[in-house]
Amino acid sequence: MSLSVGEGSFVSLVGPSGSGKSSLLRAVIGLQKPLSGTIETKLGHAEIGLLFQDDALLPWKTARDNVALGLTLNGVERRKALAEADAWLERLGLAGFGDRFPRHLSGGQRKRVALAQVLARQPKLILMDEPFASLDAIVRARVVRDVVALVERGGISVLLVTHDLEEALSLSDDVYLLSQGPRARITQHYQVPIPRPRDPVHSRTHPAFAPLYERLWADLTRAVDHRVEAA
Amino acid sequence: MLDPRHAWLRRLIALALVVAAWEAAGRAGMLNPLFAPSPSRVWHALADLFADGRIWPHLEATFSAALGGLALGIVVGILLGVAAALIPLVAELLEPVMSVLNAIPRVILAPLFVIWLGIGIASKIALSFILVAVLIFFTVYTGIRQVDRKLVERVVTLGGGRLALVRHVYLPSVTAWVLGNLKVAVGFAFTGACVGEFVAATHGLGYLLSFAQSTYNAALMFALILLILVVVMLIFAIAGRLERHLLRWN
Repeated sequence: MSLSVGEGSFVSLVGPSGSGKSSLLRAVIGLQKPLSGTIETKLGHAEIGLLFQDDALLPWKTARDNVALGLTLNGVERRKALAEADAWLERLGLAGFGDRFPRHLSGGQRKRVALAQVLARQPKLILMDEPFASLDAIVRARVVRDVVALVERGGISVLLVTHDLEEALSLSDDVYLLSQGPRARITQHYQVPIPRPRDPVHSRTHPAFAPLYERLWADLTRAVDHRVEAA
Repeated sequence: MLDPRHAWLRRLIALALVVAAWEAAGRAGMLNPLFAPSPSRVWHALADLFADGRIWPHLEATFSAALGGLALGIVVGILLGVAAALIPLVAELLEPVMSVLNAIPRVILAPLFVIWLGIGIASKIALSFILVAVLIFFTVYTGIRQVDRKLVERVVTLGGGRLALVRHVYLPSVTAWVLGNLKVAVGFAFTGACVGEFVAATHGLGYLLSFAQSTYNAALMFALILLILVVVMLIFAIAGRLERHLLRWN
């Protein structure tokens, strides 16, 4: 399998469950060793951010302290980290929520805190694993819109793993389709010619969207049908 | 409908009624004061203890033993729990011992401690200690093994090493579990102190209880039980406050 994420580009990986999408991301960040092969990255650990489905904020730290932790672990002095944390919470629409504990925040707000924690470290690449799956539709649309805006503005590369074809197409420059595992491979590569800056809701009405969606859906269905036959 | 805000008031009234009925029955000669002294007699016995000041050394003895055992038990329980959770050999050796100690009523060790440590305060601290330490050991040991993997991964991916994990994940988790069991531990600590004094001592509330028993002084017994009740409730209230403050994120 060979896959590269260019600077500032948004790349999605879609594929049936069990194709090893999540394992791939975990291997990139070093949480899991690849069974074989190597993973090359020009980036240091601190330059890669992670956004997973479970936000995993430390429950005993306030929103501000959670965001600041990402900085102090990087060697930023504490007072400066707290000021930065406040600035990022404000940028994500959470001004005044810095003193709240995660338990006292909504799902969408927690996601925003996790996002602030990642963005405050000014990563070059963010790995996302179904990061918005637990949010309800309206909250999700708004969080996604803000993520796209901040990522575009910061020139940050993204590698997104998702089941959601619409999400993949509306956000990405490149979409890769993985085959059924074990020994999953990349079977298709689609380029999404929707211009940036994008509004993820409106990019669904772009003329290129529907035909691409049809193709992606057909290819994915074939991959899954193949699995049913094999079983 | 019952207004839950006034629950305490209804309970207080019920208690007052029971006490009043008891007092009335006592005065009417329906109760044998040798077994069930009326509340006013109990009150007098309690007031006497404080009036001549002879209660203080006993209170001090019980408090010192209970708090000493509590502090020692928490510290040792945490240390052993952390060691067992992190070092497999320690877990292998400690787990059966702790499981046996957990299964038996640990107060049966009281006579042994008296032989080993004498009838002074040391044997009471030891009993309190063993009651608390086993409880805290299991709290910490199982707690650390159940610590949320996602939190550990989060701190690791943010660049945190072992030290950061201990500081930001393990220590707060351990604190939460210990605080969650603090009230039980306080109860255990006083159980240990009082039972130890009951077995053999020269001072303490447990010693006074044993004295009241041997002299058939029921009023003194009730007074002492009441006193221990108030003392433990007081410490529960303090522990509850501490818990609410330190676990306010929960």
